[in-house]
Amino acid sequence: MSTLTLNGVRKSFGALDVLQSIDLELEDGEFLVLLGPSGCGKSTLLNIIAGLETPTSGDIFIGDKRVNDVHPKNRNIAMVFQSYALYPTMPVERNIGFGLEMRGVEPDTRKRAVDGAARMLQVDHLLDRKPGQLSGGQRQRVAMGRAIVREPELFLFDEPLSNLDAKLRAEMRTEIKRLHNRLGTTVVYVTHDQIEAMTLGTRIAVMKGGVIQQLADPMTTYEKPANMFVAGFIGSPSMNFVHGTLAREGDTTTLKTDGKDSTTIRLPRVAANLENLAGRKVVLGVRPESFAANASEPDLTGTIDVVEPTGPDTLVVLALGGQTITARLGPKLTVATGETLGLSIHPDSISLFDPDSGNRIG
Amino acid sequence: MAERMSALSQHPPSVWRRLDPAAALGRLSESRYWMYLLLVPSAILILAVVLYPTVYGFQLSFRQMRLNRPDLGTGFVGFKHYIAMWSDKVFWLSLRNTAVWVTFAVIIEFSLGLVAALALNRNLPGTKIMGVLILLPFFLPNVVAGHMWALLLDPRLGVINDILVRLGFLETYKAWFADPSTALGAAILVEAWHGFPFFALLLLAGLKGVPDDLYKAASVDGAGPIRQLRLITLPMLRSVIAAAVILRVIGLVNSPDLLLILTGGGPGQSTQVLSLYAFQKAYKDFNFGYAGALSVVMFVLLMLFAWAYVRVSKVNQD
Amino acid sequence: MITTSRRARLGWNIATYAVLITLTIFCIFPLLWTFLTSLKYEADIVTQTIQYIPKRITFDNYVAIWTQSGFPTLVFNSFVVTATTVVLCLITGTLAAYSFSRFHYRGRGALMLGYLVIRMFPAVLMIIPLFILMRGVGLLDSRFGLALAYTSFLLPLFVWMLKGFFDAAPKELESAARIDGCTRLGAMIRIVLPLARNGLVATSVFVAIAAWNEFLFALMLTTSQGSRTWPVGLQLMVGEFQLPWGVLAAGGIISIIPVMILFAIVQRTMVHGITAGAVKG
Repeated sequence: MSTLTLNGVRKSFGALDVLQSIDLELEDGEFLVLLGPSGCGKSTLLNIIAGLETPTSGDIFIGDKRVNDVHPKNRNIAMVFQSYALYPTMPVERNIGFGLEMRGVEPDTRKRAVDGAARMLQVDHLLDRKPGQLSGGQRQRVAMGRAIVREPELFLFDEPLSNLDAKLRAEMRTEIKRLHNRLGTTVVYVTHDQIEAMTLGTRIAVMKGGVIQQLADPMTTYEKPANMFVAGFIGSPSMNFVHGTLAREGDTTTLKTDGKDSTTIRLPRVAANLENLAGRKVVLGVRPESFAANASEPDLTGTIDVVEPTGPDTLVVLALGGQTITARLGPKLTVATGETLGLSIHPDSISLFDPDSGNRIG
Repeated sequence: MAERMSALSQHPPSVWRRLDPAAALGRLSESRYWMYLLLVPSAILILAVVLYPTVYGFQLSFRQMRLNRPDLGTGFVGFKHYIAMWSDKVFWLSLRNTAVWVTFAVIIEFSLGLVAALALNRNLPGTKIMGVLILLPFFLPNVVAGHMWALLLDPRLGVINDILVRLGFLETYKAWFADPSTALGAAILVEAWHGFPFFALLLLAGLKGVPDDLYKAASVDGAGPIRQLRLITLPMLRSVIAAAVILRVIGLVNSPDLLLILTGGGPGQSTQVLSLYAFQKAYKDFNFGYAGALSVVMFVLLMLFAWAYVRVSKVNQD
Repeated sequence: MITTSRRARLGWNIATYAVLITLTIFCIFPLLWTFLTSLKYEADIVTQTIQYIPKRITFDNYVAIWTQSGFPTLVFNSFVVTATTVVLCLITGTLAAYSFSRFHYRGRGALMLGYLVIRMFPAVLMIIPLFILMRGVGLLDSRFGLALAYTSFLLPLFVWMLKGFFDAAPKELESAARIDGCTRLGAMIRIVLPLARNGLVATSVFVAIAAWNEFLFALMLTTSQGSRTWPVGLQLMVGEFQLPWGVLAAGGIISIIPVMILFAIVQRTMVHGITAGAVKG
């Protein structure tokens, strides 16, 4: 059964379209990540699901009930906010229990539920404190406690980790994943952090300009991005784009790069349909880790511009005609700026995009 | 029927809630028009007590209305009051005085306020309490401020006269408010005392918003304090200065309180300003029509000034 | 290089203290002098040589102003008018400020500007029609009528200042409260108002001080002892009875004591509120 269904949800403020006809269907227990840069409409979409904003048109179903005109409190949802939105005047215990309190749950039952949630999130020793006396991580846990205590049908997370420092963020990310595994509740999670999206989501909806660019599981999104925006947004350092023209030389397909100092890249094992594309202008997309140093039979050679050792591996920026690419190579690589370097490309990890539309063509 | 009964008994809270006024208001707050409903009480008040009287006031300026001369009636007289104003010497004098009063008061208050704000913004130890004390005059009533200064500047027992004589600036005590050549100046001094904390308050807040890095960068580049003030501080404060000046000018033009208490416009008409003149026409002569016309002229001039000022400060910004 | 900059800084520090001390004296001296005057015998005030430090001290002036005139009534009237004004502002202004702070809707900017433009209307232009209007509905010379007039021109300041405090409370709090089961009104009353408590107090105090001090409307709209406020009363006493300086000073000191106390208590929050509105807008 599907927990959440969106049919043609649109939102506009005057002439400005924030969301353009969003369709979504979420199965029970799914973890959907809405990923995109700020202003892409992801938070608006979440607020519409929560009932905090009304769509201009379109329908929202939670379970099999149309909830367009249902008050947020009656949608059987819980939400965790970026700023946590803990009530500053109430102690932690009342914060967690406030939703139950408003629904007229008996104090005894409430206490038991609050204690359970607090223990699960390891904040049971903080119940008497006010939010102001908590650290960032503790507030985050309380905010999640407030969400799970009501046992809702749907969890909504609005960039919940973006106010934490890097270490805590990684820790809480694991915590959220653990929680989802344990409770199995359906989640919609908004973030601009692609690592959170990759690690947490069972599916990712990459958004831009109020449109879902790609809706797929994390690995598909990563390996077969639907367009150049998705390809560039996911992964760090981001995917290399090389503009050029396809050509066929005997058995092999090559790419002649655009620009003054044009060079040729050999493309290993391309899909059959690419043979028809000879002579066409394309954008080649290769992830930095899909390169390997190869002096004997390189697919491409370029001049080393910058070398950045990061510890586990070495990032090498290579000048390729007038364009640059970044390759993630192994550690302890002994290369220097100005040298020529030959690279091979992993055969399975080539993306080709149409230079005008940016869409994937192979 | 039975079905309906059971349906009812299943939802007693909602039935109950419908009768509860707090819950009814709560449901009202979920309506699409809640944000407008929230404005209704204040809007009614403003319409009834500000807008209606103001419109009435405009209309009054075209009518005859003298409470002490009911025989004249309250008919429309067209532009009679405005024409009368044209040949009213006191009107022109008070227009001139208003300009002097506002210009000098604003210049002095701004300068003192800027100096105070710059000094306070250095956050030296022990200056916090001075910051509070400097703000105090702004919150004191005009009536008390006026009489305080009347006492300080009194021709017979004023302590300021005494100090000035002792320091050798004056030969004998001076009757500041009785001499037409010093009355307006003395009144401006009092107004400066009362009003400069307002500038200090706003400018200090503006200064707090200027990033420290700018000053660091400027001193690395070799700009001294004076140049930093001219190139960083004042440009960064531009919008605050504009807001403060506009608000203060409005206040100074509109409220005759202090002059009413200090001099009543005298001696002669040497401290007569537009707002005070209009008020006296209404309060002493009960000539509401003429007083209305005077305030309309004042309002129009004020609007023109505000419009021009905003334009000029916007142009300068670009 | 370092020594010159250190010397320069010392110079600026001395200048800063000099400026601040001078300005503080400028601000405080009139108050101090009035206070000293209120403690002097009339004979010591009207003397050939001015007494900087009173040779003898008396509280007769305070006793005189409090018992021999209608001063207690005046103060009481002022208190009633001030309290009524604050209550009216709290009821109407809080709702308006909340609307401006929490919702984005068509016409919001224009409405906010409209509330502010009201401040530009000359008092005199309003006062005359208000006089006629209030006479018509029987509110002339009444404390409630005066409070209504005060509310109308203090409301814009109240709304703008309070909006600043509401803005400081994160919007997500209301979203959380609504999901937890509150109505919008419930979220406002249970969550936001308690949070903006300091702001509400500071804004109310600001309005209270303004109402307590107001002179012009009171002079025009009150005509009898029954509703006259202290600024008008004191001013009329000066004119009518040739009030001795000592007694006048005592009256002044008594009437600014509430202002000073309130100012001292909420000074910091109030200053924050006044400046937040002006700096932003």
